[in-house]
Amino acid sequence: MNNLVLTIALPLLGAFLLPVLMRLSQAIGLWLGPIILGYGCWLLGNLWFSDISLPLSIVIGGFDAPYGINLYLDSLALLFAFAVQLLGLICWPYALNQDTARRQALMLLLVAASTGLALSGDLFNLYVFYELAAVATFGLVAASTTSAAYAATFRYLILSGIGSVLTLLGIAMIYSQTGTLNLAHLAQLAPELLHDRLGLTAYLLILIGIGVKAELFPVNAWVPEIYATASSRLSGFLAGLLSKLALLIILRLLVLIFDQPEAVQIVLILGILGVVSGEFAAWRAKDMRRMLGFSSIGQLGIVFIALSLPDERGLLALLALSLHHLVIKTGLFMLADGWGGSLERLTGAAKRSPVGAALFTLFALSLVGVPPLPGFWAKFTLITELAAQSEPLYLIGLLVFLLATVIETSYLFRIVAKLYSSAGTTTEQPEHQHLPGLSLATASLFGITLLAATVLIAPIGDGLQAIATEAKNAELYIQTVMPVTPGGQL
Amino acid sequence: MIPGVTLELILYATALGLVIIGLAGVVLSSHLFRMVLALVIAEAGANLMLVLSGYRWDAVAPILLQRAEQPAMVDPVPQAMVLTAIVIGVGIQALAVSILIRIRQRYGNLKRRDVAEKMDAEIAASAGIRRDISQDAPLGERPLSPLPAHSAESRGGDA
Repeated sequence: MNNLVLTIALPLLGAFLLPVLMRLSQAIGLWLGPIILGYGCWLLGNLWFSDISLPLSIVIGGFDAPYGINLYLDSLALLFAFAVQLLGLICWPYALNQDTARRQALMLLLVAASTGLALSGDLFNLYVFYELAAVATFGLVAASTTSAAYAATFRYLILSGIGSVLTLLGIAMIYSQTGTLNLAHLAQLAPELLHDRLGLTAYLLILIGIGVKAELFPVNAWVPEIYATASSRLSGFLAGLLSKLALLIILRLLVLIFDQPEAVQIVLILGILGVVSGEFAAWRAKDMRRMLGFSSIGQLGIVFIALSLPDERGLLALLALSLHHLVIKTGLFMLADGWGGSLERLTGAAKRSPVGAALFTLFALSLVGVPPLPGFWAKFTLITELAAQSEPLYLIGLLVFLLATVIETSYLFRIVAKLYSSAGTTTEQPEHQHLPGLSLATASLFGITLLAATVLIAPIGDGLQAIATEAKNAELYIQTVMPVTPGGQL
Repeated sequence: MIPGVTLELILYATALGLVIIGLAGVVLSSHLFRMVLALVIAEAGANLMLVLSGYRWDAVAPILLQRAEQPAMVDPVPQAMVLTAIVIGVGIQALAVSILIRIRQRYGNLKRRDVAEKMDAEIAASAGIRRDISQDAPLGERPLSPLPAHSAESRGGDA
């Protein structure tokens, strides 16, 4: 069972070996990354279908849970770890140029850190993986080597640095109050030690700190520039998955440790502000990449609204919206690979690339939530759940959510109309609108996934429901990590 | 010493103060290198906080000795963690400075507003869109007479 560690250790090892191997033999170097990620997918996929009873906790280094470090694997963590490895393989920087080795090594590092984020059951380990993911991201964005990419990376670095200082401060507060950083142990101690002002402050610091990656409202100024300057594949990975992993950490903290009404309300308010700011900015944006960036802020705001819902149905909506956004946004960024420039240039693009235009329309329809596409189901779950709440703040959330849908429809279908319009066929730079074959193929893969999910919506819904029930069960988490209650604390 | 003010309180206040000074510096400074320095100060504050969280005033360094009676030791876990945090922090600072060198090479200076302006212009140019903000001087007479030269100098010249 310990080979689960390999999903983190192998990409990490590969990342440091790759630059050396690449010098010895380019062929081996080029295959190393995809093989490692493929093995990770196979390993985690096997776990999914094996009869091992989840959740389980894996002790690292031979010390038992409250003192040692553990990995925690439940269906939710498994789903995200698998998604990391698979999306890493899909968004792999295949393009060959002089710094292929560096890019591929950083991508392996990013995958290792992301898998660690999904699996780790220790607050400080989460912090370390979080920083590792951040450093890999900086390197990957700066690898575009345009001046704007450097400036955007610097802005991201400063914001992320502020986030890590705040997170560290929160962690220090929690540690001085409880003397542990193991999530399960914290969950045990939280009701008596952390449900006060100090605990809430620590939670707020960590929320803002981790929220930098999750594109949370006040700390998301990096988003549009990074997505505008980074390669589309990287943007897809960041918007699609890394933001969700940060969300996963916040979810774990909320469920296990800070299960208080104030903590949930903060998330709801920041989510609402994120939706409003993101969607309006997306409506005003004039180029494809920045529009997608702003729209991703808005979408994650909606996911944060779902995160603030108190019961399991809320968590189900959260999962559905997250996975839906993962598929759609990554697919859209793949299309932006060729259509990244001004929206004006897209006039009549459907004639040159009918498949791309059809995919864009499909993604737009699902993002807005037109039945029978999965987006409808995800949004409907959220609406019914929001409407069932009695608190007025949730009603504001519902109104904002509906408003956001209207704005989304407006800016997405403005583009669809442009794609299929025949007026401006005399564009001056046709080579900019050419979709690369690889990106189109990848986008098609996401389109097919979406259509398959439409057909299989019932079993997927049941599966997500089971995952949500399991993830919401704090007692189960504690029992899994620490089967016997420990004698005393530090 | 003032009654009620213990060494512990002073140290905690110092840690928080460093973080606040650092964050204020990041937000307020108009030069990119100063932002990095401010971030270093904030990180020092957070690290101090982490060390303090496991410190005991009546205890010795956490080293196991072959003695009959073991004196009380400070908690070694935060010290291990702070070491990790310092290493991560230094790595990120080095990365930040190396990126700054590149920005300086490309854009010619490190003034915050100037770099942001040039970055926006470059992104807009590569996307092929016209920007909202005009680069030229506004048309017509100025409603207010321009500032005298020496007072414009004293504002730091980052306008």
